[in-house]
Amino acid sequence: MGAVTYPNEKVVDFIERHMVPIQVLFDSQPLATRFNIQWTPTVITLDEEGKEHHRTVGFLSPEEFIPSLMLGVAKCHFDREKFDKAISILEDILKKHPKSDAAPEAVYVRGVSLYKSTHKADPLKEAYKRLQAEYPSSEWTKRAQPYGLL
Amino acid sequence: MTKTIKWEKDFDRVLTLARAENKMVLLDFFNPL
Repeated sequence: MGAVTYPNEKVVDFIERHMVPIQVLFDSQPLATRFNIQWTPTVITLDEEGKEHHRTVGFLSPEEFIPSLMLGVAKCHFDREKFDKAISILEDILKKHPKSDAAPEAVYVRGVSLYKSTHKADPLKEAYKRLQAEYPSSEWTKRAQPYGLL
Repeated sequence: MTKTIKWEKDFDRVLTLARAENKMVLLDFFNPL
């Protein structure tokens, strides 16, 4: 991450605009115990209260890292039921990074966000159809399979 | 001049900044080896 992803100009710009970054050694206490760190790199998205919402373990290229961070921010909003904000970021991921590994999860979480904000089941079914069409081998397509029956 | 990430080191300060700037926190655990 330090050699390839963090020096990347787009990554630097994204972090500067959207996040407060902190870097600590893998065995730095009490954080390593608090967040149960077993391997590096581990990158965690937290809200301003220090609560975890998203985590990745292992190297991510700049092309994967930015949508992963976007997904983390969206999940912060989703977990706090700020669905409009979550949906906006998730749609941004799908527009700007449709080929990224974060994209199928973005489709899934967008569908659930729309369901939770409208109480209508259609977005869940649409999410499954989209996953099936665009990301047929994704684990998120399997997770959404029951929505196809709605 | 090349821009770099301005990493913070203090967790409490990071949370204070996140509240003030209305941003989320990126917490990176790394191994320098």
